Amino acid sequence: MVALRGEVSWFCCGSAWGPCGTAGGGACGTCRSANYQHAWPNTSDACLAITRPDACGVTGMSRRGCGFRHYTTNLCNGARVGTTIADCGPQTDLFCGERTCCGSACGSNRIIDLTPAAYSAIASLTTGLRPCSVDTV
Amino acid sequence: MIELIAALQPLVVGAVLLWSARVKLLSRHAAATVDRSALVRLVGHSRALPAYRLLGGFELTLGGLLLLPPAQPWEAVAAAALAAGFLGYLGYARRVAPTSSCGCLSTQTAPVSGRSLGRAGLLIAAAGLAASAGGGWFTALTARPTGGTVVLLVELAAVVALSPELDRNWLLPLRQLRMRITHPLRGTSGVPLLATVQQLQRSDAYRQVSPLLRSDVREHWDDDGWRFVGHAARYQGRPATAVFAVPLADPEPTSVRVAVVDEATGQTLISLAGAPPAAGPHLTVVPA
Amino acid sequence: MNQTLDRRRLLATAALGGMVGATGLGSLAPDAAFAAEASAIEPGLPDPNFAEGRISKISGNMLLVTGSDTVLHSIRVTDGTSIWKLRPTTFDRVATGDGLYARGVRLPDGTLAADSVWVNIVNVHGHITSVGRNVLHLDHKGQRIVAHVVPQVSAAVYNGAPAVSDLSLLRVGRHVQVLGAWHPDTNEIDIATVYAAA
Repeated sequence: MVALRGEVSWFCCGSAWGPCGTAGGGACGTCRSANYQHAWPNTSDACLAITRPDACGVTGMSRRGCGFRHYTTNLCNGARVGTTIADCGPQTDLFCGERTCCGSACGSNRIIDLTPAAYSAIASLTTGLRPCSVDTV
Repeated sequence: MIELIAALQPLVVGAVLLWSARVKLLSRHAAATVDRSALVRLVGHSRALPAYRLLGGFELTLGGLLLLPPAQPWEAVAAAALAAGFLGYLGYARRVAPTSSCGCLSTQTAPVSGRSLGRAGLLIAAAGLAASAGGGWFTALTARPTGGTVVLLVELAAVVALSPELDRNWLLPLRQLRMRITHPLRGTSGVPLLATVQQLQRSDAYRQVSPLLRSDVREHWDDDGWRFVGHAARYQGRPATAVFAVPLADPEPTSVRVAVVDEATGQTLISLAGAPPAAGPHLTVVPA
Repeated sequence: MNQTLDRRRLLATAALGGMVGATGLGSLAPDAAFAAEASAIEPGLPDPNFAEGRISKISGNMLLVTGSDTVLHSIRVTDGTSIWKLRPTTFDRVATGDGLYARGVRLPDGTLAADSVWVNIVNVHGHITSVGRNVLHLDHKGQRIVAHVVPQVSAAVYNGAPAVSDLSLLRVGRHVQVLGAWHPDTNEIDIATVYAAA
């Protein structure tokens, strides 16, 4: 897979406190906020029907199942984290065309959501959104 | 009056069923609607869309029979049974898939709520009343057009009010109008901290010292046109503070400056400047 | 207070050192310091240097936290720890019952020496169903959330543009992402940042 550029955010999952992005363990049933995991928009037909990255012109988003590894790089500081798929998301079509930049490094459209443990390893949770690139090696 | 209401119920229930059938049979987004519904959990992914279409066909048939003469009590009984089935399905959906969408009267995503359950209950009551009706709805309506129209409008309003998926068509525009009139979120002034953090994170100064940073923003303060943002840092094993200076009036990342200061001695370990000093406001400071 | 002011003046002087005649003392090779190594934690597994849960007790500079998976964490907060609770704040604003995420270094005795603590931070998506005086009502997957605008703190990011204080461009019916601070055991949050597609 060619590295995919876009935006990364975070979500809580598992039996977490507060209003949470995903009730329970997510679409894969394994998601936990303290684990290095992520949500991916193309885990199944049903998932893709909800997230609709194609509606924003995002191509190259491969079908990947629960447990598949992706590596996400924060384009603002170069920090990188490896995570496994544990849920379906983000809902890319709700923010079509959104663009986040750090200098000349930009990412358009939301392509991945990390757990708080994984996101905080590469960015501050208070940033909420970062430009990123996602690859598989 | 009760006879009039009862006689008009086949029209109400039939119209709702036809509307519902239209969504299931004619919508281009039916597949996506099904994927978001609890039907996938109930019958499996491969059977969900055929089941959805089949239900639409059943609604179309029953709705047509209710609207067209002659009026037969069994039609209303069948409609009551169907509405009871809806109620059971919605209860199931709310229990096993609370975030799933209803998929009932619109392709709009609308999780199953108390209102959806109330609408199914209303349909059961309406169909039950229809079963007790003596004559056809058309005869009753032509006999008492004013009263009949009022009854129909009230029931239509009740169905719409109990349909979260239709909020987009009437409730949200009303609320948007109220917002335009009252301006409840008046803009405030000032540069939010996030804007400063975004600016400094775009800077070369940040890129260069970011491997040294250990914490998120620990403190921040404004002074003479500058905003200072402090992070805990570690430089060559020594605890330090990385303090960024960001001009409040200049959004360019090149104007961000940073120093890494030894926590114990106060000695400046690293100092990086972006643009020439003229780019930012001047602060009168006395070297320590 | 004077100590804080003196410290801030020292830091400000250092940051603006070039403007008062001081020269850069140390330096970093621009890209040598720009590390791009992935974390050593195995993907899919828990990160020992991270903790989440609800604060069950505060003792001195220690936070005793019950994780959502019922694991207990001892989190040590020091002068170097950043604490966020709607805004960067101080240890005395943290309360029992608060939820948190913390990142730091796990010590041999099992304590997490915290570098950063985010208290009650939530990141939710939803549709704006109505707007009142400085309050947004959100539909978050069928769950109603009341999000309060906090003057001088709440910011909006419209379509990825730089953050602004003006929230008046938000519209009923629009989808938003709200990063904020949860009021424990309620469906209410204070807004730090609203992300909205323009």
